[in-house]
Amino acid sequence: MRRLLVIVGLIVGIVLTLSAQYQDRFKNTWIEPGSGVTLPEFDAFDSVDGTVGVLNASGPVNTEGNPFFTALGTNGRACVNCHQPTYGMSVSTSGLVERWRTTDGKDPVFAAFDGSNCPGLPQEKESSHSLLLKRGLFRIPLSWPPKNADGSLKPVEFTIEVVRDPTGCNTSPQYGLKSADPTISVYRRPRPAANLKYVVSGGRPIVLKTGTLADLDPETGNPVSMNLMTDAREPSLKTQAVSAIMGHEQAHEAPSRQQIEKIVEFESQVYVAQQAHIFGGPLAAAGGPPGLGVAALRDRKAGVLGDNDYDPVFGLFTAWKGNDYYRASVARGADIFMFRQFWLRDAAHINSIGLGNPMKRTCATCHNAQMTGQDLSAGWVDVGTTNYPTWTEPSTESSELPVFKITCNRDADPHPYLGRVIYTTDPGRALISGRCVDVGSIVMQQLRGLSARAPYFANGSAKTLREVVDFYDRRFDMKLTDQEKEDLINFLGAL
Amino acid sequence: MRHAKRRLGLFILGATVALGQQRNFVSCPIVRDTKTVPCFLAEYEGETYYLGIQQDITSDFHPPQLKHEVLVEGRVAQGPRVCGGIPLQPVSISVLKEVNLACNTLLPPEPGIEAPPAPRGPGPSSRRPEGGPEAGSAPRKPVAGRQEFTVLYAFNDDYLEYAANQVVTEAAAYAKKIGASNVKVSGYRATSLLSNGDRLVEKAGLAEKRAQSIATLLRGLGVSRLVVESKTEAEPGDGQTDPSRRRVTIVVSP
Repeated sequence: MRRLLVIVGLIVGIVLTLSAQYQDRFKNTWIEPGSGVTLPEFDAFDSVDGTVGVLNASGPVNTEGNPFFTALGTNGRACVNCHQPTYGMSVSTSGLVERWRTTDGKDPVFAAFDGSNCPGLPQEKESSHSLLLKRGLFRIPLSWPPKNADGSLKPVEFTIEVVRDPTGCNTSPQYGLKSADPTISVYRRPRPAANLKYVVSGGRPIVLKTGTLADLDPETGNPVSMNLMTDAREPSLKTQAVSAIMGHEQAHEAPSRQQIEKIVEFESQVYVAQQAHIFGGPLAAAGGPPGLGVAALRDRKAGVLGDNDYDPVFGLFTAWKGNDYYRASVARGADIFMFRQFWLRDAAHINSIGLGNPMKRTCATCHNAQMTGQDLSAGWVDVGTTNYPTWTEPSTESSELPVFKITCNRDADPHPYLGRVIYTTDPGRALISGRCVDVGSIVMQQLRGLSARAPYFANGSAKTLREVVDFYDRRFDMKLTDQEKEDLINFLGAL
Repeated sequence: MRHAKRRLGLFILGATVALGQQRNFVSCPIVRDTKTVPCFLAEYEGETYYLGIQQDITSDFHPPQLKHEVLVEGRVAQGPRVCGGIPLQPVSISVLKEVNLACNTLLPPEPGIEAPPAPRGPGPSSRRPEGGPEAGSAPRKPVAGRQEFTVLYAFNDDYLEYAANQVVTEAAAYAKKIGASNVKVSGYRATSLLSNGDRLVEKAGLAEKRAQSIATLLRGLGVSRLVVESKTEAEPGDGQTDPSRRRVTIVVSP
């Protein structure tokens, strides 16, 4: 008994020592627009169980006057409000809750336009910002029907009805579907403004998943990756920046060309990855897995397919096999990600593009782009998070998100696995393409810096990585053991 | 014992199916799991036919899908049963668009039933990139003059599969290379004559839709001087070559 107590005491001592070691480095630094701080070349911030690294590859960044850090619109917001280095260049609910508390809800991140459930709600009430505070979701108002770049209406293949409207925005006479400017409000997480060379690479003239032309960069005329944003509605970082300033920042005048170039210049040199683990220590040490840490992201080539066994998506983890508990677990998780077979079924734009339904494959089949785990081709997929019956909401009646009923026209191709009537909390790509087959398809996200930016999925439904893994386990009947789940979580958390 | 009886039964039934016989039918696909990749099968008139195995997007065979019926148009091929089914080769697979929840048969692996060797298994690929797209293949003969390219489709579909995508890209490259004076795009829709005598006709308007979508792609790829036409009537089916008539032709003239 005494011996057991000694062992327990030793373990507690080691944990406390390690915790203290990393606690010294823990910090949460919310950057306000116009604060004029200088970002160091490398910085590390507190994440769930370690530190997330942020690398400015071009050296220290003086934010004074930098348009990424400057409010360019009318609501006091800058890009940095929703893309904080502390939170892996996105923003977490823990950070938002803390921000609400310290500013009494006055921070511009809570702007009525999209930082609340609907602009018409009483803004001083916390409940009016519940989707942002509980799930990290910003309101994304999208015109319906969708429009072409020249303002003409796109043809659409379905009708859309609002079945449930917990925020009141979709049925609002002022902001809703039947308003003077018909609009659909969906609620989505901000994606990390980092590691972007990987996100924008891989543009090909014809989109594999649709057999149609890829969108073009309006400046260069080149086809784009169509992997930006939840629905690929903006073709380039520049157009995305303009759209964000006119929308999220509520600017009345378009930003200057120079401002946009400065924003893209900053975004394009920021790299984010988990850097250290509370028990595992530094993750990017020499001799370890080559894909971990921010320097690897800076140095590796973008646009490389990693769905192979010789140079896999996040590199080989051989060096950590049989290592200490944490590292061995991460290495097993990497093997599960790359090699654990399961039946991928009923996923539109995966099974439906000639691969068969079901198909026996692995996570890396879809998450195939080296270093980020996005899809190397245009990456929208209906993995089932937003569409009934696999959606993440408990039921229609208790959904925190709006529920829409989509009815496909008779002459259109139906959704390949849900048919002609679909209930969804977010039609995803279909709100841009107008196509029934796209209902519920969401562009895959990069898998880096995850520990710093919970919650997960575009709809913020997974509070933890455990909930992400549980969703996939349930959705694809993967039959993961508890050990396998833990290994996958440790692996994802190390990215 | 039960397996042996079943196989014997299948063998006897199989004996009634003549080599080279065309089999055109609509049914639910069946997925047979194996130790490696799954096999895709379909039943017609009490017989099981082998269609192909899971591969990747670049494969000639694109498997059918559960939750959908499939139009199978294939010829009975020589050789033993594969995955428990009589092999059809060549075989054309068209996934019918409407959802059919009754199509949901996934069979577990069974001793003695193995998938044919697969260039790619169910895990990540082991094939290393070659020196380039042409590496290892015989040098292409230089082409010149008027060239015709044919884009094939699944039944009632205008989705451009990977191979068809390559054809369009090749046609565009050729047209640009020779500075084509005229690129004629012609869309067709067709009829499939089934083995039971029924005829399936592709929907009206599909020929034009196919032609217009190919023309849009060609324009996007930098091809000009396009002439686009489509044939309103569905081409008749003969039960032998029907898949080859679901097409768009691209004729590139110098």
